[in-house]
Amino acid sequence: MDFDAQLKLQAYLDGELPEAEAREVAKLLAQDQEAVLLQGELRNTRQALKGSEAIVQLPESREFYWSKIAREIERLDRPERVEQKRPFIFRLQRFLVPVTGALAVAIFLGITLINSSTGTTLGETELASEDMGAITFRSESEGMTTVWLYNRGDSELSDELAPDNVEPQ
Amino acid sequence: MSDKDHSSADDRELVRGAQKGDMGAFEELVARHRDKIYARALSMIRNEEEAVDLSQEAWVKGWQRLAQFQGEASFGTWMTRIVINLCLDQLRKHKRQRTESIEAMDEDSGGVERQMPVVTVNPTAGLERTELRQRIDAALAKLSHEHRTVLVLHEFEEMEYKEIAKAMDCSIGTVMSRLFYARRKMATILTDLRKGEGQ
Repeated sequence: MDFDAQLKLQAYLDGELPEAEAREVAKLLAQDQEAVLLQGELRNTRQALKGSEAIVQLPESREFYWSKIAREIERLDRPERVEQKRPFIFRLQRFLVPVTGALAVAIFLGITLINSSTGTTLGETELASEDMGAITFRSESEGMTTVWLYNRGDSELSDELAPDNVEPQ
Repeated sequence: MSDKDHSSADDRELVRGAQKGDMGAFEELVARHRDKIYARALSMIRNEEEAVDLSQEAWVKGWQRLAQFQGEASFGTWMTRIVINLCLDQLRKHKRQRTESIEAMDEDSGGVERQMPVVTVNPTAGLERTELRQRIDAALAKLSHEHRTVLVLHEFEEMEYKEIAKAMDCSIGTVMSRLFYARRKMATILTDLRKGEGQ
């Protein structure tokens, strides 16, 4: 019996053969003892497996198992829901703040350049937006000034970086 | 819906509630079907920790796809299909990571199962149900992932050849040959286990 015939024998057992081929296999089974024995083995294995799956219980409590699922669902749902609830103007703000920040930096640098050429010192720079925070760091030794701009409403760092919370070095 | 309502509601009511965003209803569905979903993952992956993770991932995916559930099959069956697909993805990842297995080489070259003598005595005859379950589980553990998966899907999930081929992303011919080799190997392993019990 070749491999194709063996597979047909199995498909016959599983009820997956078209009628014409099923008749051929039935004829083979009536004539071939080897086919009968193989079919018997396949049938025994099939019957042993039916309804004999191991009974398994989850090794975790209901609460513990659910808590991880709930956390993951909430984590995945959060950004979308926050985005949906925010009015258009707030979403627009996300893009406006950096633009305003960039303008403020340009103005700051412009004034610095003008003042450095005239020899005066910079007194005060006003921020263009109330939603924007800024921290300025000046290194005299390296002759460098860094201005850090952030969105008060959006940034997680806003509280940490608020001037009141920054300890003097 | 209160907790009491959840526990007395049937799956269809709970699904409707969950589709409207009721997490309590979904939690009840998880509680009802979690063992079955975990068992399916464990039968395919054979690693408890991975099976727990995959079953939880399946529940998260189920929540995200609840709108697609139309109720053609039962909720348990629908969830089982999700965890099966996740397990198949995981097994594909494992397969990519390991070098070509002996089982796969055997399958490509025709395998040794075709030449194995036919087992004429039923190796599970007379076993009690609990003993039979343990024996089947021990034998399944000795199969390759490919062979075990095809047996689990065909015998436990009662999927047809074409459904298995679709899930496993292979041809019906491959499903048929894998199922054939898997059954022949199972017969030999069960016979060996039977012989071993007498020693």
